[in-house]
Amino acid sequence: MRDINRRDFLRTAGSGIALLSLPPVLASCAGPTSAVKPAASGGAHATYFDAFGVDAGRLRRVIGRGLSRGGEFAEVYLQHKITHWVGLEDGQVNRAFTQVDLGAGIRVLQGDATGFAYSEDLSEGALLAAAETAAAVASAGGQGTPAEFSRAKHDNPYPVEVPWSEVGVDKKVPILERVDRACRAKDPRIIKVISYLTDEFCRILVANSEGLLVEDDQPMAVLSASCVAEHNGRTETSGHSLSARDGLPFLSDATIAEVVRRAAEYTLLLFDAGPAPVGELPVVLAPGVPGILLHEAMGHGFEADFNRKGISIYANRIGERIAPAGVTILDDGSGKIRGSVAIDDEGIPTQKTVLVEDGVLRSYLHDRISARHYKIASTGSGRRESFRFPPVPRMRNTYMLAGTSSPAEIIGSVKRGLYAEMFSNGQVNIGAGDFTFYLKHGRLIEDGKLKGYVKDANLIGSGPKVLAAVEMIGNDLEIVSGGGYCGKDGQRVPVGFGLPTLKVGAISIGGRSAS
Amino acid sequence: MNRELTDIVARILDGAKKRNVQGARASAYLSRESSLEWRDGKLDRLQESTQRGASVTLYVDQRYSSNTTSDLRPEALERFLDETVAMTRLLAPDEHRRLPDPKRYQGRFEGDLGIHDGDGLSRMTPDRRREMVQRMEAAARSAPGADAIISVTTAASNSSFDSVLGATNGLMVGRSGTGFSLFAEVSVKDVGERKPEGYEYGSSTRLADLPDLDRIGREATRRALELRGSRAEKSGLYPCVIENRIAGRLLGDLMAPLGGQAIQQKRSFLADKLDQPVASETFTVEDDPLFFGGLASRPFDGEGLTLKKRFLFEKGVLRSFLLDTYYASKLGREPTSGGTTNLVFPKGSRDLPGLLAAMGTGILVTGFSGGNSNPATGNFSLGIRGMWVENGRPVRPVSEMNLSGNHLEFWKALSELGADPFVHSSWRIPSLRFGPVQFSGT
Repeated sequence: MRDINRRDFLRTAGSGIALLSLPPVLASCAGPTSAVKPAASGGAHATYFDAFGVDAGRLRRVIGRGLSRGGEFAEVYLQHKITHWVGLEDGQVNRAFTQVDLGAGIRVLQGDATGFAYSEDLSEGALLAAAETAAAVASAGGQGTPAEFSRAKHDNPYPVEVPWSEVGVDKKVPILERVDRACRAKDPRIIKVISYLTDEFCRILVANSEGLLVEDDQPMAVLSASCVAEHNGRTETSGHSLSARDGLPFLSDATIAEVVRRAAEYTLLLFDAGPAPVGELPVVLAPGVPGILLHEAMGHGFEADFNRKGISIYANRIGERIAPAGVTILDDGSGKIRGSVAIDDEGIPTQKTVLVEDGVLRSYLHDRISARHYKIASTGSGRRESFRFPPVPRMRNTYMLAGTSSPAEIIGSVKRGLYAEMFSNGQVNIGAGDFTFYLKHGRLIEDGKLKGYVKDANLIGSGPKVLAAVEMIGNDLEIVSGGGYCGKDGQRVPVGFGLPTLKVGAISIGGRSAS
Repeated sequence: MNRELTDIVARILDGAKKRNVQGARASAYLSRESSLEWRDGKLDRLQESTQRGASVTLYVDQRYSSNTTSDLRPEALERFLDETVAMTRLLAPDEHRRLPDPKRYQGRFEGDLGIHDGDGLSRMTPDRRREMVQRMEAAARSAPGADAIISVTTAASNSSFDSVLGATNGLMVGRSGTGFSLFAEVSVKDVGERKPEGYEYGSSTRLADLPDLDRIGREATRRALELRGSRAEKSGLYPCVIENRIAGRLLGDLMAPLGGQAIQQKRSFLADKLDQPVASETFTVEDDPLFFGGLASRPFDGEGLTLKKRFLFEKGVLRSFLLDTYYASKLGREPTSGGTTNLVFPKGSRDLPGLLAAMGTGILVTGFSGGNSNPATGNFSLGIRGMWVENGRPVRPVSEMNLSGNHLEFWKALSELGADPFVHSSWRIPSLRFGPVQFSGT
């Protein structure tokens, strides 16, 4: 639709802006395929990529070339990713997309500055040429020597018996057909169903001039359904997605049933939903998806690149109270949900990073550059969309720990307000701190009771103000592993988030029911 | 036409035919980009990329798939075709899947679209990019009020692409072009911890069409400073002017429901509105694929369909859906091309200050934040920032407000198009003046 490429587009929207979106069901997708299934080969440092001719010797030579202009650090990131997308529309599984991505990103660092180049050709000549380009970030001259590789091992939190590259489309077709039938069976008003299944086989390798050599195998699956319902001349649409770093077993009866139940329910309730109110009201966030608030209102502001540059609203505030006691926020890469990663894209093992502890700002999210800047260890937060991008600090799964209030108690404390249940996307201006998130549906609260449904309103507020105004924290943390992507610097990475029921202060609601 | 890419496309089409597919369309592309980002007097990121890849769309026994790979080694391409053809055979048949009628490949514009500037490209040396980013930073730092600056980031980049598109029913065409862009972003101190950011950019197919470097730097600083001390106004119905460079965000939500899938899948509030008025008579939008030097100029679309200038909206009346071959067939209509290229608008008579004067009191929207639009109903709600305007003059900044409405009503409140088409996007939208619309604030 647009001329300028996506990177330029996001850049033009301002690099201090970050967006999050749940998967648009109507997205036209060009997804990957194996086209290559290399056999394992021998050797002390034999890796998956040996079969592509990129052995330890070639990696060392390429890293050496990266250091040839005096750079302090050089790194090669190899990726082979095969994405399949299979879709159902009008009752038939009649479309599929495949995308194969194979390439190397080469990065050279000199202080805070980055030289970056990538190549889709893994031949020695092409990789050396890319390294030469990245090396130009430094101009000091002199030739650094890469350290001997030491192979790093880590636990595999997301083992898969059969990789997605070996799962035929015949295994996927019946699942989508089931989703379609089950959605339609929920209610005769449901007239159209779009459902799709995305799977990824992704193998990465990180090797650097300090001798790190590490690999990870990162599977991903997403099941999504979206319904259109018609009733009395009105049309409504909504949907639901679930995702995990898992293989075919993820597509269990329970996963299918939950996607179907929520897709149908979220669509049908819109017939009973009125326009959302206009103006400021106290808001109670439902558990789960409203965790988007943490992601937008605070999470991006904690990413260390914005703080290193001094442009985040949270810059220079480590150790300060930024929220009431009881508020503890984590960014957690463990497990096998949407935003989980055993190692980050700089090869650092993941961790549970405590960002806010009992209301006090404890840590930013660091990659190598910011960790070096702040003279601390990386939090394993250096992530990249693919080998075509250099890593930057990113969230993984961001959530707030549960408190002690019951959800009924929280809702009961509000005289008139909004109970916000389902969101589709959000955005934040990092420096000004104003964030938005888009309400698909929620309910009004009157005299402490949940009343009628409302829909389609943007919510906008100030992140620090909303965080400071947290009044009650529910005992019901729910972590969401939907199909969400976070966009920053023109790069998309999968993320998860979570929240217990949470009462915050007044937020401006952009509904249409002006009183 | 690029020889190497043509060979790849021919090899893929031959390979597809050998595997007994009924039809195939293939494309191959090669793009190069060089960029330099500069921050606070220092190099921040230097990037060079060469991207290449190929796609093949397969029509096998009325079954369909579309596939892309960056692994162009000959043996990998063979394997890629084996796997994707086998996968396609396992899908459900769909009678509407077929290559376009080759008649629709005919009559292509063969002249110069003004989108390739080889001379400009050769002048964008690493030294030139460095001069550009430094010049923009210096301009940002010498603008009035620059002592509030916390950080300045500037960037310069240039790119070129080559692509070839072919199909088994008689298509082999190529395109190539260049792109140039400049960007500056400034963060400034505000009250408390707030650090508003302003940005300015330029983007063009020819080097000479880039805006002045000093102006970009100064504008970024001005825009950041303008946002200081912003707050929400009271909720209410206010007239507004939407600044040209961000108006595409709003227009995008009106264009998306014109797509074939949205129409056919009943996810479009415009599905039954063809040839009906949906906006005020002021609203005319043409899709012009042949605009000289346009950022989206092209003689053919991704299916190879020949493109011609057309009305999407004419004096408020919806004139065309965006239908590719598949959804046109499903809807029993003629294909119209499934996307847009350059959008052009009739030129208004007043620039931005003139529009503000005509508005009198209201809101000048200079930025959108988040928000969404329900494609089935047309209800939308978007976060905004901008300026409160009194007697035609911006008097104070506003933020943390939303603009909401329903597209079927909203565009009827359009009163005037500005004389200022935004030339750094393929959507050359002017600033838009609206009558009273719903804003939420405090």
